[in-house]
Amino acid sequence: MLSSKIQVSVKYCGSCNPLIDLAKLGNALKEALSQDNDLTLVPPESARIDIMLILCGCPRACGNKEEIRARAARSIVVAGETVDLVPTPEKDISAAIMKKLKSG
Amino acid sequence: MIMGMIRGDEYRERLQRVKPEIYYLGEKIESVATHPAFLPHVNAVALTYDMAWAPEFEELLTTKSHLTGEKINIFTHIHHSTADLVQKVKALRALGQQTGSCFARCVGHDALNAIYSVTYDMDQKNGTEYHQRFLNFLKEVQAKDLFISGAMTDPKGDRSLSPSEQADPDQYLHVVEKRRDGIVVRGAKAHITGAVNALGHLVMPTTSMKEADADFAVCFYVPVDAPGLIHIFGRQTNDERKCGCLIDQGNVEYGIVGGEALVVFDDVFVPWEHVFMCGEYDFVFELVERFATAHRQNYGGCKVGLSDALIGATYALAEVQGTAKASHIRDKLVEMVHLAETLYCCSLACSCQGYALPAGNFMADPLLANVTKLNVTRHIYEIARLAQDIAGGILATLPSEIDWQDSRVGKYVDKYLKGVASVPAETRMRLLRLIEGMTCGTALVESMHGAGSPQAQKIMIMRRANWEHKKRLAQKLAKIRERPK
Ligand SMILES: Cc1cc2nc3c(=O)[nH]c(=O)nc-3n(C[C@H](O)[C@H](O)[C@H](O)COP(=O)(O)OP(=O)(O)OC[C@H]3O[C@@H](n4cnc5c(N)ncnc54)[C@H](O)[C@@H]3O)c2cc1C
Repeated sequence: MLSSKIQVSVKYCGSCNPLIDLAKLGNALKEALSQDNDLTLVPPESARIDIMLILCGCPRACGNKEEIRARAARSIVVAGETVDLVPTPEKDISAAIMKKLKSG
Repeated sequence: MIMGMIRGDEYRERLQRVKPEIYYLGEKIESVATHPAFLPHVNAVALTYDMAWAPEFEELLTTKSHLTGEKINIFTHIHHSTADLVQKVKALRALGQQTGSCFARCVGHDALNAIYSVTYDMDQKNGTEYHQRFLNFLKEVQAKDLFISGAMTDPKGDRSLSPSEQADPDQYLHVVEKRRDGIVVRGAKAHITGAVNALGHLVMPTTSMKEADADFAVCFYVPVDAPGLIHIFGRQTNDERKCGCLIDQGNVEYGIVGGEALVVFDDVFVPWEHVFMCGEYDFVFELVERFATAHRQNYGGCKVGLSDALIGATYALAEVQGTAKASHIRDKLVEMVHLAETLYCCSLACSCQGYALPAGNFMADPLLANVTKLNVTRHIYEIARLAQDIAGGILATLPSEIDWQDSRVGKYVDKYLKGVASVPAETRMRLLRLIEGMTCGTALVESMHGAGSPQAQKIMIMRRANWEHKKRLAQKLAKIRERPK
């Protein structure tokens, strides 16, 4: 049976010189998603991804590629201390993403 | 399991299965995978496999094979765009940050890329079949995610003489017999990174050659345990600390360089299927230049990753010693970053300016790649000098961890090695040892001579500088008319 939850996946840029702690952010999101009733985390190779979280360590945003965005109907891009280009302090990024995910 | 990608543990198991002939400090080594002298190098290579599986690093450390479309580790890839070249530099930086040392896989990778294009060019001119042979080999390397060394440098004997002019012809590796089923080679390769913990060696000639040197124009692959192959592992600064020490090692898990060895070829047989050049002396310069370009491109990636860790250690040490807020210390830390990022700029620039070769694969811009490496021979030394300046004389006089743990004098070491009151002496000792390992002795020489001595880069810059164009620009500006010759 298909999951009725919104399927979220995470893709990293590659982390060559990150300005934010991407592993910590990824873990915080994993934790938050595991406790959410409407959202669920799926691998980046999944056939169905509703929202792709692209986590990049700096504004160059190497992970923000067409082929990665194309895997989902919607994507959210973290690039250093920004979420979808909106300046966001590192400590608030996880909460900002969760808010966006919940807002549909 | 993905074909083309193994994990660190599988690499360690493979090492247990091969039986290369290795000597170190008068001992014949039975197990490279577990011996403390080699473990740091094995750990660094294992990380090149494991990081490729880590979601945070996957995007840099994996790619798609142009031969099979399969996902592969970046170190078996043939570059097919400037984006591929940029990705390599970023991957090297990320790996350098995590290991704080050489991780050895780039040399064989660069050899794969150089040989890929030169075998194609040789076949186009001579109607030989080297390229298809090489493609078969490459497919195997990609499928097995094989760690191979890149063995170019010959011992070279009298440097003023060509290979065929040497008093002892073995100073350059050469073919001594051609058989129906393959060739027999004799000689040696010096300073080979990862030679003892690789699964095989990709061997290339080291210098441009004339017709008389045809026997020395030889390129091939040989497994690390081929009969007649002998590895003599090099000593490194403070290598005895690898046995029984922890703090005094500095970089506790990884090495200071890549783990280099003198590899002796005492009449080693190579089947034709693994021979990729045999006598084509007129293609040796091309091979050397393409390998050198790929390898010199790297140094503003890996060495910048190492510098990130070194700058971090120096900054943390300044905090521990209560100097971090002093303006001259800040200025020196900023200078270290400036120098490191300058090198990164160089590597990125030569990658962005890369171009396609006749075989379709991409090479970094040779002029800019040589500029990159020449800067590395200077900036890494200056970064190390600044780190040593900030660290203080204790870098050279720090008591050992054994005395720190001693029941009689340990309390004095603890008391007098303290910096700011809130941080234990142990933290300061660990940072100092890390900086010592990264800036004293063997580690620095790699930045000078690895991928070629400074003069080798100057020669390439001389060849590629486009002198006549520069002269014409000046003539135009100064309105100097060229006189007919
Ligand atoms: C840590 C480390 C790792 C390395 N890893 C590898 C590896 O994996 N694979 C590999 O193939 N090589 C490797 N090398 C070898 C490296 O490429 C060589 O050290 C480099 O090319 C210089 O050669 P050399 O050491 O023989 O020094 P030399 O060539 O003896 O150079 C010493 C000096 O003599 C000068 N000189 C040399 N020849 C002449 C001449 N004919 N006329 C005038 N001056 C001359 C040089 O410019 C230099 O100033 C490694 C080296 C180091 C230090």
